Amino acid sequence: MKQFLEFEPHTNDIDEERLTRLQRKMSNRVASICSQRAMLYTESFKKTTGEPYIIRKAKAFAHTLENMSIFIEEDSLIFGNQASSNFAAPIFPEYSIDWIIDELDGRNGSIPFDKRNGDVFQCSKKVKNDLYSIADYWHGHTHEDEVQRNLTDEIRQAAKQGVLHLGGISMSGDGHIVPDYPALLKHGFRWYIHEAKEKLKDNILSKEQIDFYTAVIISLEGALTFFKRYSCLLKEAEQKEKDPKRKQEYAQMAKMAENMMEGPAHSFWEGCEVAYMVHILQMIESNGHSFCYGRFDQYMWDLYQKDIINKIISKEKALEIITHMFIMNSSNNKVRPYGHTRFSQGYPLYSNLVVGGYTPEGKDGTNELSYLCIEAMNLTALAEPNFSMRYNKNTPDSLIRLAAKLIRTGCGMPSMFNDEIAVKGLVDLGIPKKDALDYCPIGCVETGVPGKYGHRATGMTYVNWGKVFEIVLFHGKDPKTGIQLFHLQENDYATYDELWQAWKTALKFYSDMAVESDNICDASLEIYDADPFASCFIDNSMKLGKTLKAGGCKYDVISQSNIGPVIVGNSLAAIKKLIFKEKKITWKQLMDAIKDNWESAESMYIRKLVLNVPKFGNDEDEVDDLVKDVFNSYLELLPHYKTLRTGKGPEISCYTMSTSNITSYVPNGFDVGATPDGRFAGSPLNEGCSPTQSTDTHGPTAVINSVSKLPNDKVAAGQLLNMRFAPGALAGDENLDKFVAFLKASLLKGIYHNQFNVLSSETLREAQKDPNNYRDLIVRVAGYCAQFVSLMPEAQEAIIARTENEL
Amino acid sequence: MNKGLISTLQHYSTKDGPGIRTTVFFVGCNLRCTWCANPELIEPTKKLLYYKQHCIRCGTCSKLEPHAIQIFEDGCHIDRTKLHNIQKIVECCPKNAYEIKGREISAKDLVNLLLRDKTFYEVSNGGVTFSGGDPMLQADFVKEAAQLLHQNGIHVALDTAGNVQWSILKNLLQDIDLILFDIKAIDPIYHKKCTEVTNEKIIENVKKIAQLKKDLWIRLVIVPGWNDDLEDIEKRFQLINSLGDCVKRVDILKYHNLGSSKYEQLGLKYSISKDTACSDTLVQQIKTIAHSYNVKINVDN
Repeated sequence: MKQFLEFEPHTNDIDEERLTRLQRKMSNRVASICSQRAMLYTESFKKTTGEPYIIRKAKAFAHTLENMSIFIEEDSLIFGNQASSNFAAPIFPEYSIDWIIDELDGRNGSIPFDKRNGDVFQCSKKVKNDLYSIADYWHGHTHEDEVQRNLTDEIRQAAKQGVLHLGGISMSGDGHIVPDYPALLKHGFRWYIHEAKEKLKDNILSKEQIDFYTAVIISLEGALTFFKRYSCLLKEAEQKEKDPKRKQEYAQMAKMAENMMEGPAHSFWEGCEVAYMVHILQMIESNGHSFCYGRFDQYMWDLYQKDIINKIISKEKALEIITHMFIMNSSNNKVRPYGHTRFSQGYPLYSNLVVGGYTPEGKDGTNELSYLCIEAMNLTALAEPNFSMRYNKNTPDSLIRLAAKLIRTGCGMPSMFNDEIAVKGLVDLGIPKKDALDYCPIGCVETGVPGKYGHRATGMTYVNWGKVFEIVLFHGKDPKTGIQLFHLQENDYATYDELWQAWKTALKFYSDMAVESDNICDASLEIYDADPFASCFIDNSMKLGKTLKAGGCKYDVISQSNIGPVIVGNSLAAIKKLIFKEKKITWKQLMDAIKDNWESAESMYIRKLVLNVPKFGNDEDEVDDLVKDVFNSYLELLPHYKTLRTGKGPEISCYTMSTSNITSYVPNGFDVGATPDGRFAGSPLNEGCSPTQSTDTHGPTAVINSVSKLPNDKVAAGQLLNMRFAPGALAGDENLDKFVAFLKASLLKGIYHNQFNVLSSETLREAQKDPNNYRDLIVRVAGYCAQFVSLMPEAQEAIIARTENEL
Repeated sequence: MNKGLISTLQHYSTKDGPGIRTTVFFVGCNLRCTWCANPELIEPTKKLLYYKQHCIRCGTCSKLEPHAIQIFEDGCHIDRTKLHNIQKIVECCPKNAYEIKGREISAKDLVNLLLRDKTFYEVSNGGVTFSGGDPMLQADFVKEAAQLLHQNGIHVALDTAGNVQWSILKNLLQDIDLILFDIKAIDPIYHKKCTEVTNEKIIENVKKIAQLKKDLWIRLVIVPGWNDDLEDIEKRFQLINSLGDCVKRVDILKYHNLGSSKYEQLGLKYSISKDTACSDTLVQQIKTIAHSYNVKINVDN
């Protein structure tokens, strides 16, 4: 088994052998596709023709929970399966079907699921036959079809240009939410059913409200039945089991399942089980992702403390349960179209779980569970849950130090969130301080208030700023596709200001369009992603009688994802200095060199000049200020944008900004020609707000200094910064102390968040050569982690290209 | 106001004193250690470095200074004594295959750069280290910079080989918080063999620093085949032991060959053989000696 970071067990309560077995099983798991959910949903939908869509969805959900195959993971203290086998991805035909059918055997020019060069899925003959058999039923009647019917020609053209990407929101569910875990652990599902029934007694309800409450009841009853099915299965397992310890565990689990959520959770173990079950139930109801655990150490604290005081569990047992729960997260899966997979590599589910940080009252909430969770994540050593830590001026050094030890293992976790900045960002949106202090990451780096935020804190339409800037250079026309959607001045830009105004015009043009595309997707999702189960655990759905998407959420704060701000800023800096200030080269010379992809002798020389202009990430004001301008040019636009839910229920409805960009910076780069910062055509854009790969040459403090100049507290849906350190830089106690100091200084510097890969290039290269021996190598991809060997080659290269800070 | 001749600033430097530091590398040294890892910092002038791996043999530089640069398959052959204008060579290259190391800077400008990392120094109890080369050869400049840093509450360390007049060193000490003092050898002849200078001044200076109760970190670089004579090493520990409790730390710096590529880039010859490395046995022997003199050591990896 892996070594503990600091934990010293005093009892034998952690079965290390079985933990290793379970961990290894998940580490070596093979992705496949499961057709059960699709078949059961189809069966149910056929019987409910003509009923309100939300009722049809609730009935299909309950039907699935009553009939899908369930199994117990033999080494686990946590039960619950999302699909018929380990790491199988269920299919959600109501969201989209055509690409699934195409990719089963590679029809219509697509690549089959099992022949991909990243995120491969095995698919059995039976599964294929099942899915072919239901294709006609769904074809033309899915969320994707609805979106496609409504997309404007202009949006399609912008997508062709490579500016807009609607992958996630146009063909799958939303996700990106955190249920009110404290409330549901306290009440149990039965209480919500009771509430819904009480509401239904009221005779002034609208049709929408009646349908919502009815759907909540159907969904929760289905979930309770699901638990009782496990209870029966566990009893059977108990009878067959020979090992007395395991037999007793089965008995306990069976008892737990029997009445689970009929009332409150009774124990810490049950609390963990419920958290996990709610998590997978959300992922059976919808194929969104980023269904998150939120502030696990905070809401589990009462149950933990009670069980410890009453000697129901030991600290060691608690660590074992948490670790099992963490490991089980890797048994779940999601399949995306191959085209979208490029944006979202490594089978990510982005199930964020956070520890530490202020309480709603403003005190530091660090507790014993915060430490145990870090230890558990170390033992888990897998990409899920996406493990994060909040910290602030009052966070104990010992917790930061333990986090640093986990970071040092190279697993890329936790990612570190700065309370001082994240809270300010939310307060500035109008969110009451008490709620802002209770924030958590939702998915990658996007933040929101658990139990109160609606879907999609981030991840609406993706906008490729590298491409927008390229279009500005070519006066409105995309040089690659030849598509021109608007006009900019036809003459060469004669001053920096002319260029800057053109950027602002282009950015507004495409951002407006992205909001339009958000709205089209949102309108369709309101119907097809109707999710009574997930909605009822979030304020104010139960009060208002509507799903989150219909306006049931208390805070409706969403954001798009903007990719490549540093590419734009660095390019502007090069142009400003070389063409307008020093007049070393002309506009034409630069454009010729770009069109030439820096290849001819003259182009090469121009590239050299461009490379010598300071780049973002080196604490050089002349360029850092321009990157800041780029951020501000987008922030200025946001107050004018409205969500579809404005005025329909939420107390706050608005857009904010996020640079959470998953792996999109790699495929976005494919579409963009050479840029004036010296970047070659087709190479990746910069990631989040991180410096462009390998251009930060002045060490990690300079990166922090540069990033600290950005309006980080206005990027209220998450500012992504990724850094890489050589393993030696954190080796030994002294270096660890210095790294802890580095984290604390970053806090004072006003960094929003930071995450680290502590891996050498050699290790990554070795893993490329010998993937089978490196299946356990987990890396930070973007705001999430993934198995390095599961990534496509370009994404692997982009990670290796990040500057490795050595000392 | 004097200008200093410095090379690079190393940010997030963790090996040259306590906490997170920025190390300033000064150009110019009056020792000639065979193993020097920073050969670009020896002569007190700007240097032209040539990176063969970036060069595409385009010949642009050779056209500019044909008498000094010739193009061969293995790259440019440069006779640095015949170069007229190194700045122009750097500018003409389309691939950034040339770089000048060394720039003149005022103390005020330098300190402004250093202050950018103030938060990191404060949180980590770190600061600034002047290293090189030997910063003592630019003592007036160092003094001015150190005083400016102190006005800003920044901890200042000085990394020196100590081969200067005591009066110069003494004059500076009040503006320095910590001295990182290198001792290469005790026996003067042995010292001369390795560094081309004898060490009477060096030994005297470190003793005097100790008498003034200045905090000292002693740094012992160990280069097999050059200064690894165990008898001499033992004498080094005798000396350290005699300096008393102002010695706060002793670092063993094992020889590394990371500087070797710089010799090629500068057109210089490197005399340390390729397979030179500190064996575990040697490290163990040093530990034993240190132990016998009651000196705690840190061995750098």
